Amino acid sequence: MNPEPFLQLDRVIHEKGRLAIMSMLAASPSLLYTELRDSLRMTDGNVSAHLRTLIEAGYVAVTKSLEGGRPTTTYALTATGRTAFAGYVQLLEQIVAQTRPPGR
Amino acid sequence: MHDAGPAENLRVIRNLMERAALYRRALAPVSFAAGTLGIAAGAAGWIADLDTARSFASLWMTVALLGLGTALGIMRHQAVRDGEPFWSPPARRVAQSMLPSLLAGALAGLVVALPAWRDPLHAWWLPGIWMLLFGNAAVAAATFLPSGFRRFGWLFVLLGATAVFYVNSRSHAAGMPSLRLAHLVMGATFGGLHLLYGVYLALTEPRARAS
Repeated sequence: MNPEPFLQLDRVIHEKGRLAIMSMLAASPSLLYTELRDSLRMTDGNVSAHLRTLIEAGYVAVTKSLEGGRPTTTYALTATGRTAFAGYVQLLEQIVAQTRPPGR
Repeated sequence: MHDAGPAENLRVIRNLMERAALYRRALAPVSFAAGTLGIAAGAAGWIADLDTARSFASLWMTVALLGLGTALGIMRHQAVRDGEPFWSPPARRVAQSMLPSLLAGALAGLVVALPAWRDPLHAWWLPGIWMLLFGNAAVAAATFLPSGFRRFGWLFVLLGATAVFYVNSRSHAAGMPSLRLAHLVMGATFGGLHLLYGVYLALTEPRARAS
């Protein structure tokens, strides 16, 4: 089996919490901080730490605004993040195809 | 995720993306509509004095169909507005989870409603059975919905069990009051609880944002 795709997997995305956040954001134009935290059942500390890493990598953009007088923080994938996520999924599919027994 | 295989990672990604897509359907308007319909039907049944088993079951099965149609209509409208598919994989899973219990409820209604000889007081079993089955349907679907929906389902299961035990104890002792009162029970539970849940969702559900 060719180990090359394994080595190419994006280390920033290839972590349970960050992959979950990226997957959720890939399916929505944007999500609130509370939506991410509640639907992934993560602690505040966990979500914040992972989001910080993703923002630093340039994969996620943050928008702070006032909605109905309440401060709201929303997160969305950047173009770079969307490309990185698509590449990550493509590599996973490649690995799965390689490891599938022949004839299946 | 470090130790999980690539196939498992892909499955997790697919599930999370489906969940995120479903999470965007606002349930507050659906709950408000169902609650209003339930309360209106309860009041109508009481005022019209529908006290036969057939009229009771017919009214509430019609209300259930109307409620279902309204809910689907609202969710379809939201999906079209957001430019997202309505009959998405998670939507199908929610429907598949709820269907067995809802069909059982319809069957229970038909068994009570169809025979003309049915004693009106037999219909007193229906509110409890319907609450139990709706609660089952809600708990089954809660896996694909916000966590509050599971508690909402369990509340119906609890109320349904209480109603069934109450009817059972009364039917052996003092008997049950006129079916007219059962319309109020239905209005208060299916109508009132949906309305209250709608208020809870309106306060807690993320505001819909233009995509």
